Amino acid sequence: MTQFLQLASDGFALGCVYALVALGFAVVYRASQVINFAQGAMLLVGAYLVSLFAAYAGLPFWLAVILAVAILAASGVLFQMLVLRRTLGQPLFTIVMITIGLSIAVTAGVDAVFGPNQRLLGDPWGASRFHVGRVVFTWVEVWGVISAFVLLAAFFVFDRYSRYGLAMRAAAADPEAALAVGVPVRRVHALAWGIAGAVATIGGVFLAGFPNSPNPQLGDAALLAFPAIILGGLGSPVGAVVGGIIIGIVQVLTSGYEPGWTGNNFYEVAPYIVMIAVLLAKPYGLFGTRPAERL
Amino acid sequence: MMKGYLHRLGAICAVGAVALLAAACGTTSSSNTSSSTTASGLKVGPGVDVATKTITIGNIAALSGPAAALGVPALAGAETAVKAINAAGGVGGFKLKLLVHDAAYVPQNAVTAFNGMEASVAMIQNFGSPTTEAILPAVKADHVLVQPLSWDSAWDNQPNLAPLGTPYAYDVANGLDYLVKVKHLGTKVGIIYQDDAYGADGLRGFKVAVKDDGLTDVAEASYADTDTTFTAEVQKMKAAGAQIVVLTSLPSASGPIVGTAATLGYNPTYLFQGPAWLEQLITKTGALGAPPTPIAGALAKSTYVMGFATPWGNTAAPGMAAMLAAVKKYAPTQIPSVYFEWTWVQTHLAAAILAKAIANKDLTREGILNARLNLGTFNTGGLAPALDYTSALGPPSTKSIINRIDPSVLGFLKPVASGYQGTGSAGLL
Amino acid sequence: MLRRAVDRRGRRAAWIGLAALSVVLPFLLGAGALSTAVFVVIAAIGAVGLNILSGYAGQISLGHAFFLAVGAYTAAVLGGDHHLTAAIWLPAAGIMAALCGALVGPTALRLRGLYLAIVTLGLVYIGQYIFLNATGITGGPGGRAFPAVSFGSALNFAPGNQLQIAGLTIDSNALYYFLALVILWLAVGFTYSLQRTRVGRAFQAVRERELAASVMGVNLARTKVSAFVISSFLAGISGALFASYLSFVVPSQWDLLLSIQYIAAIIVGGMGTVLGPVLGSIVVFALPDLITHLSFVNTNGSGGITPGDLSNIIYGVLIIVFLVAEPRGIVGLGDRLASLLGGQRRRRDHPDPSRPSPETNPTTGGGVLP
Repeated sequence: MTQFLQLASDGFALGCVYALVALGFAVVYRASQVINFAQGAMLLVGAYLVSLFAAYAGLPFWLAVILAVAILAASGVLFQMLVLRRTLGQPLFTIVMITIGLSIAVTAGVDAVFGPNQRLLGDPWGASRFHVGRVVFTWVEVWGVISAFVLLAAFFVFDRYSRYGLAMRAAAADPEAALAVGVPVRRVHALAWGIAGAVATIGGVFLAGFPNSPNPQLGDAALLAFPAIILGGLGSPVGAVVGGIIIGIVQVLTSGYEPGWTGNNFYEVAPYIVMIAVLLAKPYGLFGTRPAERL
Repeated sequence: MMKGYLHRLGAICAVGAVALLAAACGTTSSSNTSSSTTASGLKVGPGVDVATKTITIGNIAALSGPAAALGVPALAGAETAVKAINAAGGVGGFKLKLLVHDAAYVPQNAVTAFNGMEASVAMIQNFGSPTTEAILPAVKADHVLVQPLSWDSAWDNQPNLAPLGTPYAYDVANGLDYLVKVKHLGTKVGIIYQDDAYGADGLRGFKVAVKDDGLTDVAEASYADTDTTFTAEVQKMKAAGAQIVVLTSLPSASGPIVGTAATLGYNPTYLFQGPAWLEQLITKTGALGAPPTPIAGALAKSTYVMGFATPWGNTAAPGMAAMLAAVKKYAPTQIPSVYFEWTWVQTHLAAAILAKAIANKDLTREGILNARLNLGTFNTGGLAPALDYTSALGPPSTKSIINRIDPSVLGFLKPVASGYQGTGSAGLL
Repeated sequence: MLRRAVDRRGRRAAWIGLAALSVVLPFLLGAGALSTAVFVVIAAIGAVGLNILSGYAGQISLGHAFFLAVGAYTAAVLGGDHHLTAAIWLPAAGIMAALCGALVGPTALRLRGLYLAIVTLGLVYIGQYIFLNATGITGGPGGRAFPAVSFGSALNFAPGNQLQIAGLTIDSNALYYFLALVILWLAVGFTYSLQRTRVGRAFQAVRERELAASVMGVNLARTKVSAFVISSFLAGISGALFASYLSFVVPSQWDLLLSIQYIAAIIVGGMGTVLGPVLGSIVVFALPDLITHLSFVNTNGSGGITPGDLSNIIYGVLIIVFLVAEPRGIVGLGDRLASLLGGQRRRRDHPDPSRPSPETNPTTGGGVLP
């Protein structure tokens, strides 16, 4: 029983981090129908920036995080303004490839600037942990879960109750109509990318936390958020959260209870198998909506 | 429409004719060794420039990509060695030169790199197992001598390769033997290995040791080098109750594995394969006195590391002083690195082989291969396991250097056994 | 009228020139560059396949690496374990991959756009899991050796062999080059004919407006599955040749990055064009090597940027710049050049994807605000 609880809590914590990453994807997709393959790279840069400010420049951790979030949000906005605006009207494929190109260049850039070795994150929690009964929780995990929920709540509030949230939903539903009504569509898109950058930084911090450390392979972790967003349904923040948590739990539970006949590394495909199974029943994910097609 | 059809038909006939012609002629083996003779009667082959008295050694490195953390200091060691050797007069009157190409640990790039440099090098130093495997057929065809930076036991019986050090399989076998027989740390063993050739070789040694020493193999788990969470693998070891866990991994995985285990309250004894270790696992920069990493504590508990080179700064080794002096002169910013040390030795070995070839008056490809086969013993100055090349191939060394992690010493490794050979490794020969 | 004739002859001349260049190339290049050229030509075969699936039929697939791998391992088993001639294992590799394509095809019936893309992404991971565990076929994590191409004992492409023909010496690298080149020509020729036939037009109809196509009478199921089958067949052959030339492959090499490289190739070259995949392959698969030679090498880790990193940075930036500036790929660039030099008719052959249309199908077409 202890093992199950331990694995379940680990899975939940991991799932919350995936949810954070997935949220970044969902925001961009909602605003512009694009899956941002560079989310992983942004995560990587976020973690490295926090590490740079906190562990190497000696700033207090909270300040380092705020700085990193600001820089990454600004970068997201800049990228959208300088590059993506010029691709107006391109096929989806092309824009996705642009984000892939960004991902390749940024990952190599991080490697070039910071070197291939792993670094210290500089977070105040380190390896500290506590017990509840026989189950162990690390503080990194706990803060990860808390941050995920706080950010998600903040996004929901933004989406439902603020003007820009409404503007974002309008721009996503019908850009031309929104423009006609006076919604600043371009600004909204830039904002979406800024949010994605900020969320990526927070996600990066927790992915790079104990027992990991900021290292150049961190960007690959974002790949597991893909089954999460598809499972949850593209463009649905609720879906992103639910999907992320499901994937996290599936991954850790399958790894813990791997029956012998499944061979090695079954836990790596389990998320995809779950995703495919759900898609067979619901082709647009749990919370996704079928796009309306007009002939 | 008809015309297009005829055109296509014509094209196909032309291709067919050429194919038939090709088949009729058939392929033949080519001898690719161009050579000439100098005035002093020395036969030279590709990569040897008599006019400038330079011998070029190709170096296919891993300066970027997943193995960069190991590949960068490795290249530094080779370059420093070249500078030191040249400063001391070179080899038989010739200076050495390195021709470097970054393959980033990608086999495809290694093949292209090899093809590109093949005509201008006398021999090659190559980083990694899968890259060496990929260039092996071409290496054999072109009679090139290759020094692989990899300790795969697959190299043991290849006359074209000049491996140095104890192969992974032997290391694991010896290490387990030591921990079980000498330290009495338990007989339930498990292994976590990377899913590539390196990991496969570690697994091989593990299985042989288990069988020969009568251990209980309770769990085996593999991981992909792109993985970032290792709860699965650790959980498997923990659930099976493994008392000793062998890690045939890279540092980016060893750290999180140990950390995850510590979080779960699981503290077995770890046996790190050589490449699983990196100084940066203990402190921020890898240097003594720098801020410790969060996993340093867990690592210091009970972790043994199979060293492919003696710990940095171990003055008991006679060759250490010369190396440290060279570091001070040519690479003053170099932090302690076993990879640097190892390629320092590897490059001196290359020089020794070339020197013998020159003594035999034959610096052609065949001459160099011959020199390697008949080199005999090579003194590594205690920096790496002793080496004995004979024409009856086999592993360059079957003895292991075993260290224990100690954050208070320079290089963080304290040798506990040197030249150890357990009974377990007998099954590998 | 005269202009059109000159035009057509001009184009014919360009094709012949290109073909001639591709034949003499091995004799002009050094050994390293030739090696790169071989990889490029082999990859181009796979790119042509992906272009048919994604460029013409509009089905996004990230799973190309899986089909490459299936072809490669078929070759390994038939050629390596059973020592059959390449005349058997090469086509067999294509057929096995095509069968897998036929199995995967039906998913495209249920899923669209990005959903399909991510499921095909899952295919890569499922593939890696299978390959890692099927140690008998793939050699497990340690990988395995692959057989060199050989047509009986007379014609063997292993390194060190060479062919003397009409006074020319053709080494093993060049032999691979020519074999791959012939197959590439056939594939390109096939694409050219395909896009003019009914099947090809059905593909393009499905790409543009699925609903409209099915209303017009196009059998969606058959069309989509055929697209997957053809694409996978070419991928299988490409994968088999790649593994054979590389001579040793570990299962972890068939990863997402490989699939992405093929997608980059067809996009940079020009999706839905005949020559696009070939030109794109040249850029994507040869560029990193080219940059490595041009860059300032960081030789002792103490400063300067490593060639690998620099080439990735330039590669990524180039993709972005290219796609922003000329989204129709190199072929589009060529069109612009040609229309500058005279001749407006090109636009008809290469439709401009940036022309907006009230389109909500995310697999194609405009109206997407990034």
